[in-house]
Parts: sequence; C-alpha cells; structure tokens
Amino acid sequence: MTDNLYKNTEMMNKLDEFLLDIQKPARYIGGEVGSVIKDKSKVDVRFAFCFPDTYEIGMSHLGMKILYGLKNAVPNYWCERVFMPLPDMEEQMHRRGIPLYALESLDPIREFDFIGFTIQYELCYTTILEMLDLAGLPVLAEERNELTPLVVAGGPCVCNAEPLCDFIDLFIIGDGEEINLELMRLMERCKKENVSKREFLERAAQLEGIYVPSFYDVEYNEDGTVKAITAQEPAPKTVTKRIVHDLDKAYFPDSFVVPFCDIVHNRAVVEVLRGCIRGCRFCQAGFIYRPFREKQKSTILDQTRCLCENTGYDEVSLSSLSTSDYKDIEGLLSCLTDYTSKNGINLSLPSLRVDRFSEEVLKEISDVRKSGLTFAPEAGSQRLRDVINKNVTEKNVLDSVKIAFEGGYSAIKLYFMLGLPTETEKDIEGIYDLAKAVIEQFYANPDRKKGKAPSVSISVSTFIPKPFTPFEFEPQASEEEIRAKQKHLMEYANDRKISISRSKYDVSLLEAVLARADRRVGRAVYLAWKKGCKLDSWEEYFNMNIWREAFAECGLEMSFYANRRREYDEIAPWSHINMLVGREFFINENKKAHEGVTTPNCREQCSNCGVIKNVGGDICRAIR
Amino acid sequence: MPSVNTRVFFSKTDRAKYISHLDLNRVMQGAIKRAKLPVWYTEGYNPHMYVQFMLPLSLGQEGVREAMDFRLLEEIPHCEVTERLNKALPFDIRAVETAVPVLKNIDITTAEYEITSDIDNEKFLDFTKSEKIIVEKKNKKGVSEIDLKPLISGLTAGERITFRLPAGNDFNINPALLLNAYRDVSGDEIKHIRIVRTKILCADGSEFR
Repeated sequence: MTDNLYKNTEMMNKLDEFLLDIQKPARYIGGEVGSVIKDKSKVDVRFAFCFPDTYEIGMSHLGMKILYGLKNAVPNYWCERVFMPLPDMEEQMHRRGIPLYALESLDPIREFDFIGFTIQYELCYTTILEMLDLAGLPVLAEERNELTPLVVAGGPCVCNAEPLCDFIDLFIIGDGEEINLELMRLMERCKKENVSKREFLERAAQLEGIYVPSFYDVEYNEDGTVKAITAQEPAPKTVTKRIVHDLDKAYFPDSFVVPFCDIVHNRAVVEVLRGCIRGCRFCQAGFIYRPFREKQKSTILDQTRCLCENTGYDEVSLSSLSTSDYKDIEGLLSCLTDYTSKNGINLSLPSLRVDRFSEEVLKEISDVRKSGLTFAPEAGSQRLRDVINKNVTEKNVLDSVKIAFEGGYSAIKLYFMLGLPTETEKDIEGIYDLAKAVIEQFYANPDRKKGKAPSVSISVSTFIPKPFTPFEFEPQASEEEIRAKQKHLMEYANDRKISISRSKYDVSLLEAVLARADRRVGRAVYLAWKKGCKLDSWEEYFNMNIWREAFAECGLEMSFYANRRREYDEIAPWSHINMLVGREFFINENKKAHEGVTTPNCREQCSNCGVIKNVGGDICRAIR
Repeated sequence: MPSVNTRVFFSKTDRAKYISHLDLNRVMQGAIKRAKLPVWYTEGYNPHMYVQFMLPLSLGQEGVREAMDFRLLEEIPHCEVTERLNKALPFDIRAVETAVPVLKNIDITTAEYEITSDIDNEKFLDFTKSEKIIVEKKNKKGVSEIDLKPLISGLTAGERITFRLPAGNDFNINPALLLNAYRDVSGDEIKHIRIVRTKILCADGSEFR
C-alpha cells in the first residue's frame, strides 16, 4: 500500500476544518487496524456497506464484519463501511456540502457501484432515506436511472421489505455469503457490457434470493387487504431465501476492523450456529434463520483463536440465537476455555436458555467481576408460556437462579412481554409472582452472603407480532389495553427489591406497523422522513407525532396494520417471499397456540415446518 | 519477575490525530497484543497491561516523536520491537524507534511545535511581539488567566511557524491556546491549521531520550 492510495487529501482537508468541533471525531475518519485499503485503479466493483445507525452500533454487528471480509477477499472488489452521522456531524456536512462518504477511501458513496444497507430493525427505515439523501441521491428508486449506484438491502427485516420498495432497487433475501458475490460478479459483467439498470435488474432477478420489487404488482381489496401480487416476466412468482449449506465451509473473517473509540460490543465474536430449534411462536429470528446449522467445535476454536490473535481483543463472545442449544455445549466450552484462560481472554455467552443453564456453564462464564445475569421467561404463567411455546418451566427458571445465587450472583434481570395472545390478568400477576419466587430462592440459599440483598429487575416490553411467525395473524394490543396491563402489574407489585421497567407503547406500535406493512406504507415512511424523522430507534430523536401526521396524510390507519386480526386465508403483503418455513405450519402453530398446546423443539421431534421439504434433511442439523 | 524497561518513540499523524488520549491507550495495548510482545501486566486484583505515555497529545494535534513506556518480560532486539509493532499498528501511527529509557517523564520541560496554516506569518509575528498575551487556561481548579508571552521561545516563521512552549505533567501549555489567542485578537478566520509536535525537550534543551 502506498501512501497516496490511502490519503484522500481533498476530503481530509475539508474534514480537518471542523472535525474537532464534532463529538468523538474518530468515528468519522476510518483508518482503523483491519480496515481494508485498495488501489482504486485495480478495483472493478465498489460496494458501500451502509449500516443505518451510528458507528458504535453498526461496528458491533457481526453480519457486517462477515460480508465486509468476504467482499474484500476478492482482489478486484472493494467494500467500504458507511454509518449514519449524528446530528452535529450531519449538520456540518450539509452546511459544507460534504456528501456521505465511506470510511476507507473517504470517497462519496454516490460514486460507488453498490450502496448496500443491512436492515436489522424496522425503526431504521427513515435513516436509510436520510443516508441516501445525504449521499446526494434521489431517495426514490424510480428517480435513479443509471445502473450505478444500485441501492440494495438485506438483513432480517427484508423478509417483509414492502414498506421499502419505493426506495430500494433490489433486496437480498436470506444468508448473504454467496449471493453478495454473485451480485458483484453480475455487476462486473454488466458494467463491461454497458447494460441498463433495467437489464441488470432483470438478470439479477434470476438469481435465487434476489427480490426486485419493481417487477411485482400489488392489487388491493376494498377493505385494504392485499388482493393479488403478480410477478412480471421474467421475475419468479415467489422469491426463495438463500441459505449457506455448510457453515464450516462458509466464509468467516479472520480479522475485524478494530475501532479506535469504544463501541457497543468491542470484542471478537464467533458465530457458533445459525437457526434455532426452539420455535418460540413470537420470535421471527427463530423461523427466518432456519434451517438449524452448527459449526464443528474445531472450526469454532480455530476461528476464535484466529480472531483473538489478529484483533488483539481480550474478550470473545459466542454468537447465535441460542448458544446453549449447541449440541455439545459443554465440550465446546471446555475446549474454548482451554485456549481463552491460557491467553487471558474472557469468554462471554449471551443468549443462554434457562433450561440449559448448568453449573458447568456458569463456571465457564464467570469471570472476576460477577455482575448480573439475565433470563427471559417471556411470560409469567405456565399457561401463557405454553401458548407462546417458550418451553421453559418455573422450575427451570428457579433452578437456574439457584445455581446463579450459589455461584455468587445477586442481581437477576428477567425479561417479559405484555400483550401476548390470550393474556389475562392472572398471567400478568404471574410475572411478579415469578420475580418474588426468585427472591425467595436467594434467601433459601444457606450460604448466601449475609447482609446482602438480592436485586431482581423485571423488564416488560410490548409484544410485537412479526411476519413469518405463528403470531403474524395476531393483533397487537392497543395502547389502552397495554396501559391497563402495565397498571395492573404495578398495582400488584409491592416488593421494593423488585424493580419494574416498561417500554414505550408508541415505539412498539410503530415497529408493529412497519413489520407487517404493505407497499402503500412506503409513502408514509417517505413523508415521515420528509418531515424530519430519522434515527427513530433513538429516544431523543423519535417523534411519534410526525409519524401519525405522515400516516394521516396518506390516508392510512396505523391500527389497520398493528391492531387487526388477520384471517388465515388473507394474502399477506409478503406472501411472494418464501422463507422456507411453510404458511400451513404457521397456521397450525397459531391454532395450537390458542389451544395452549406446545410443540416440541426440533431436536426432540421434527414438526415438519417445511424447511426439510424445501432444502432437504441433510442441511437441517437439528435432527441429528 | 525481571523485566526490561522499554521506550518506544512513535508518530501519530493524519487520521490518527483524531484518536483521543484515552483511546490511544487502548489502540497501543491492542497493537502490543497483536504484535505478541511479552509485556508486563500489573499484578493487582484486575491485572492490566502496563503502558505509560510520557506526554499526552491533544486531540487534533499530530506528533512525530511521541514516547511511551512498557516493560518486556524477555529481551527482544529493539529493531524487532519496532518492526513487530509497525505490523500491528494502524496506518497513521508508526513506531519510529525503540530504546532503553534514559530520562524520566519529569525531565520533560518543553515541546516544540510546527504550525502549517493559512495564518499570515507577519501578522502572527507582530502579535507575538505584544507586551502580554493573556489567555484563559483550564486546570483542575477551574479557569485561570495566564500570560503566554514569557513562555514562548524559539519562535520562527518561515514557510511554517515553529515555537516552543512549556510541556510536562506539571505545567503544560497547549499550543492551541496561543493560536486561539491570535485568532481572537486578529479577528482572522483560521480555516486550515495543522499542529505538529516535533520535539519533546528537557531543561538543557536536549531531546527527551
């Protein structure tokens, strides 16, 4: 690497004029260890990987690190990182005419071939528009006529991409490891052949996992529900998500970009498994990431070692939807701790399930500083936990906290949801009763530290029905209902050792609306952004009144999307997307939920969710 | 455990000037780990890597010969330490030289700065000839007024402006104070400014070793 490749003197001079007046300027200049610099003259395809949130959040995200490394491993492709500047920075960029730029080259992203967003949560939609605008591009896809920059998006939210169809040229559905490179190869060819954007999109639509929304027409019934979704030739009738068949062979980065400043999760992260065997009926991730695939122990150990050595991190976290469901979790932990303890590295295990929490696991994760432990029973009573298929018993919870208390922990956090289908006052009281039982468990421990009080905090969020779950048919509880439920919980609670925190309804409502929105909601997203919404997931920037105005102006009712029960035969706005789990399965699971009947996890018994029918039993490893 | 005191002189320029002192500490520790240098850790309840910076550099300023100390648990040739660190450091931080520490950080009295900017040199020189240059200096106790005039030495203004100011852990003058005072008095807008600490000096005028 020569000096002049890396130095973008022109942009650097512009930034130097004001960066010192900006909060934490280090997040706006790149140059970190692990960031990839290439010679532009030898690069054929440039990809601006955008995370529609701040540097601290985006840099903590594993998916971005995987795809960044993957693309940059190809010599003539260059992938760079882009994040949303906070208002102090953004204002200066506007004032000085500095367009949104990528952190590696400091070049404006509108010069790139791809602008790709990863969409991890619904509340980032307006931020996407803000970033496109700051890049100096029209936010509406139909107003961008050139082949490049092509605006693409992937991530869990694109399983229902409808509210973003006006803005994004194409969506990438499913695992990104293979399809991202296929798209870049297609771009490399199409640029040489000088094809039009339309021609590119037609060719891209032939790739499995690519959804080009402009090739689909949506008609509506008089009651506002979807009447039909019709694919135009040559786009496929349904778009099937892509999956990586073998995680051991799939690309995984050997290094991360190590930030200068602190970020949310500043540590090495190794993915141990993808998919989930559990089938909790509220959980979208549990269904859209199927089939269940595990990496081998040796792969995980190699990747851990490699990442720690190359990044210098002294903390590594195992990532998955439910790490304790790794088949040989104790074997894995013992071989990992062999390495980590010898090298002074902390191993952290988020996503543990209460029914798989053992003394051995606790021993492996407990470091010098014993802070709090978090468990997620999700619902207060056994009846309701059966409804949501969270196959966890009160005994599981109490056994786990017993181990935790005996292990020296004294602070326990419990996560619950309010507004779950069929919920009654008794279920709500169960939340508090369970917390009480946890406190009693502490005092039942004869070896407890005398004079030390346990602290139990309950966090109750509002249930949000999501597409591709058995609860996609369910209404979200209304604001009045949630208020009444919260009030009931607060009145029922009388122990000061238990603190209760509640979520804001407005935020949950908007998330529910956007999650199951149809294409018409794109107009409301556009108007909300026009009126100033951005960074909606940040409490200080979130403004529900603007959103309400925006919906009113397009004549759309939020309650139509959030608070309405859907019939099983209603055509969902996302019904042309195939996430491998069948709709019949979701309907059946929904019926079972209302009967209070549980479904065994995939390891106990295959419930024929549709994945094996779609991809074959050799790929789904849950049954082995 | 026996350990070898080691001093690394390094540069921190361009993009790296936006790394705060606190973050620099983390960046250096990361680099030392990636370089697999066997360094000494403190032996307390929470052992941490012992790295000491001789003179903090203000955010936004560059340095061409900064200094940090750590202890090595085995003898490693100095040129190898430099080389291994450079492979592990970000592009804009470079290890320049590794040496055995000769002086202590309390021996530092002065630093030399080089300013590249759109300031009118003549005007700046005239300004420094004023009888007094009173600025407000923040310290732990609050804000106090201080006269910079007697503290400036070695002032030249050719293609670049260079000058020396007191430096050290007890009494340190940030060169930005002088430049801000000039801006306030002259009323000129300074658009481009690059402040580089070129030398860390001792009482006898020799370079810190």
